[in-house]
Amino acid sequence: MHLSRRQFIKTGIAASTAATVGLPISKMAEAAAAEVEKDWQWDKSVCRFCGTGCGIMVATKAGRIVATKGDPNAPVNKGLNCIKGYFNGKIQSGKDRLTQPLMRMKDGKFDKKGQFVPVTWEQAFDEMERQFRKTYAEKGPTGVAMLASAQKTIQEGYAFNKLFKAGWRSNTIDPNARNCMASAVAAFYSVFGTDEPAGNYDDIEYTDTMVLWGANMAEMHPILWSRITDRRLAHKNARVINVTTFRNMSSDIADLEIIFKPQTDLAIQNYIAREIIARGAMNKDFVEKHCVFATGPYDIGYGMRPTDKFAYPAEKDVQAKELKVTLDKYEAIGQRRKAGEVVEQKNTGNPAAHWLISLEDFKRGVEPYTLDFVAELAKGDPDEPLDKFKAKLKQLADYYIDPQRKVVSFWTMGFNQSVRGTWLNEQCYMNHLLLGKQSMPGNGAFSLTGQPSACGTAREVGMFSHRLPADRLIPNPAHRAYSEKQWNLPAKTLNPQIGSFYGKILRDLEDGSVKWLWVAVNNPFQSHPNINHWLRAARELDNFVVVSEAYPGVSAKVADLILPSAMIFEKWGSYGNAERRTQHWRQQVMPPGQARADIWQAIEFSKRFKVKDFWGEQKVPGLKVEGYEDGKLPSVLDEAVKMGYSPEDSLYKVLFATPANLKVRWPDGVAKGHPNHVVTLLGDGWFPEKALWQEYVPFTRGDGKDLADFDVYHGDKVRGLKWPVVDGKETGWRFNEQHDPYVKKGAGFDFYGKLFKAIPSGDLDKVTDPKPVSVAGKAKIFFRPYAAPVEQPDSNYDLWFCTGRVLEHWHTGTMTRRVPELHRAVPAAVMWMHPDDAKKRGLKRNDLAWLESRRGKVQIRVETGGRNTMPRGMVYAAFFDEGVLINKVCIDAACPISKESDFKKSAVKVYKV
Amino acid sequence: MNISGIMVTALPEHVAEVAQSVAALQGVEVFQADVASGKLVVVQEAASVGEEVEGFKRIRAVPHVIAADLVQHYFEEDNELIHAIPDGLEGLEGIRVPTELKD
Repeated sequence: MHLSRRQFIKTGIAASTAATVGLPISKMAEAAAAEVEKDWQWDKSVCRFCGTGCGIMVATKAGRIVATKGDPNAPVNKGLNCIKGYFNGKIQSGKDRLTQPLMRMKDGKFDKKGQFVPVTWEQAFDEMERQFRKTYAEKGPTGVAMLASAQKTIQEGYAFNKLFKAGWRSNTIDPNARNCMASAVAAFYSVFGTDEPAGNYDDIEYTDTMVLWGANMAEMHPILWSRITDRRLAHKNARVINVTTFRNMSSDIADLEIIFKPQTDLAIQNYIAREIIARGAMNKDFVEKHCVFATGPYDIGYGMRPTDKFAYPAEKDVQAKELKVTLDKYEAIGQRRKAGEVVEQKNTGNPAAHWLISLEDFKRGVEPYTLDFVAELAKGDPDEPLDKFKAKLKQLADYYIDPQRKVVSFWTMGFNQSVRGTWLNEQCYMNHLLLGKQSMPGNGAFSLTGQPSACGTAREVGMFSHRLPADRLIPNPAHRAYSEKQWNLPAKTLNPQIGSFYGKILRDLEDGSVKWLWVAVNNPFQSHPNINHWLRAARELDNFVVVSEAYPGVSAKVADLILPSAMIFEKWGSYGNAERRTQHWRQQVMPPGQARADIWQAIEFSKRFKVKDFWGEQKVPGLKVEGYEDGKLPSVLDEAVKMGYSPEDSLYKVLFATPANLKVRWPDGVAKGHPNHVVTLLGDGWFPEKALWQEYVPFTRGDGKDLADFDVYHGDKVRGLKWPVVDGKETGWRFNEQHDPYVKKGAGFDFYGKLFKAIPSGDLDKVTDPKPVSVAGKAKIFFRPYAAPVEQPDSNYDLWFCTGRVLEHWHTGTMTRRVPELHRAVPAAVMWMHPDDAKKRGLKRNDLAWLESRRGKVQIRVETGGRNTMPRGMVYAAFFDEGVLINKVCIDAACPISKESDFKKSAVKVYKV
Repeated sequence: MNISGIMVTALPEHVAEVAQSVAALQGVEVFQADVASGKLVVVQEAASVGEEVEGFKRIRAVPHVIAADLVQHYFEEDNELIHAIPDGLEGLEGIRVPTELKD
């Protein structure tokens, strides 16, 4: 039979699709598939987008990507793609791809007020170096900063972390994961003493009860959602519960939908805990053997500045709450105090402090959270009858408590992006631990991640202002000493003072304490809340902002220097997903023009500096740490010389091209013919992505975080491995003796994390005995009270505003808006609104409206139908659209413990344009 | 040329009906329909950018379709891609777009 070329290709695609999803195919179709693909080279890779971590197969032909498909062998997605993942192969091909460095110039030299002019990499780095040296001389290590990303590869994160902390002695590097996963991390530390989830995605197939807490997985984690949907349809007892502030696509298959008022999830979780206690459902054996009870201070502020010096006049009333708060009725009941009481926020400096309490104290803490109290407080849809809402809350508790049921709770930004984000995470563990439904197949509280390598790059590498690799912390002298030894640094090279967190770096830029900023693989001038402040700081103040980017997003446009970056399939790299799975990929194609990988940018820039530039005495404003002179980092040059370094050695030689790393040579058989443009550019024959990986992994080994060798991940049959990888075997469920080799034999469960495992004792209000007690091997069940949102609708700003993503777009749209299909699917951000709220304001669907808060305003189209159904009193709009800069409106309050911004709760008004 | 391989899922008793309805859509061919597993392999050809996603939405909207998952994406001969920069990415309020970036 003769087939036309087009028909032939289609037959081939059909055969390949069938094979991918495991359907048998005919010989003829198989032949067609083979013929269509005969010049293609398929290679395994990973999706560029969310934290799910789907496997993607990429086909190249003559140096171009010609096709992509879901990887049928990837356990995460089993051959499926979501709509964003499906278009991975097109994200690098947008017409406005940045392909050369661009610098603002006037009369042939750099000028802050100049126009962007193409320059060479040499010219770009010359100016970057000149500005760096100027700021470093004036401000010291804390004056130079990086806003980094959970979308960097693991090796890029490691390289930048080392350049900043070991080379420049600056901890002022923090990733956008701060706005994504910091609350999850803080709770992993406080509850378990070690970061990252106990379970894995197979929990979906083992469980029968899946509770989504403020997580619209149908749009934000579509492939996990397809697994949940399959489980729901295939297993008759399976139930899906959507606990949310508005009806969304995840409600479509939900058996129970609970619409709650923003931030009252704090109260709902305490209601469940109270029910567990009241019904005698606490798993006494599990709790006694493996848990302790704890609490901490309530008066911890809202992560805002302590001063209103930089606030707009309209911001000042909310800003004042950072210092003192008047308790409302519900907070007063929830905290066992009196309504109207004025509470000074005395613990803003030490919000993470916590202490042991008794079970009796814990019971007293949750006692006020009765069904009547919580239902009245938490009902989120004013049009729902109270009795119906009460019945739903009771059913939610029934699902958790039912001894026949396994339960997995999923959450992402609904919990994390809250002024009490850490507490919400801790409460979720509270209920799973009380029931003993934790760390076993099908049972567990499962913190999902938003970005592809929040776990791998930001958290495991420790690319935060307070962290070092593998759960080590800057303030801990032993952790610094260990890292200095691994990195072959003189003692006291590392700065012992925590650097500024993500949002504070932007505040620093506004108040002049940071004057040199490098932004890479994120878009803070679109994505961080309250951006009117930061846009002005970038453009109007005497700062130097460098942005490494693939496309001219908002941050690139407000930069002084733009560095063109290589994208995912144009470089070697690795990501770590939400189930602790580490996955590596090879470079598939060359980057266009002068675009170059970020890892090259870090390493090449380091060649310009010598150790004597940094390892002499340095001033660090406000440094006050035992063993250090106030305000100073000591000179370590003498010690460096003793170790065999010369003050004239370049940072390149000391940090990157070390004798050990230079031995890791290119070419390497693991490449299988794939190129590496970074090797070519560096020119001295070493293989940095592999060398730095091998330098990094010893940090992870022997302490429950073990990663495997570089070549293992590149094995043909390997589709990533879930750490800890011990004796070549991955770990499915941490802390569980049957699955985790780190658990003490005979313990059953062992919460062996080491951080914050010696704490004082006290009651619900205070420490009564400051002597630290060891809680080694135990998880902490926290009591955390309800606290009101810092900003709530009032008579002027009379609506709740919530922001987030949509299925079709990734973050700020710099990539997905370059894929024509995705752009056409959702071309602009819209504001979902209840039809009655619209009508009241003289608005109807598609009308242009002003959306205004205390901080700024944007114009946006009204949507009263579609995929989200808002309750009266609340509006939602996504943040991907640079034509509708939603973050002009959002408040930059944050969880005081995690410093993660609250994007879910701003008060706004909406009116006709 | 945008050609997509799509897996459609339906209950076994609806596979025949779904196959017929999907095949009736313009630019869509059903290559396989497996009653036992409820899975259909569908190939869609889209003449222009944007049609591909619209077409995908049509498939999802067919009665008894439980899920439609994109599996393989072929764009070897897609020459218009590079010229298909979306409108509306310029003219950002308050920030001047450098002319160099407009080219």
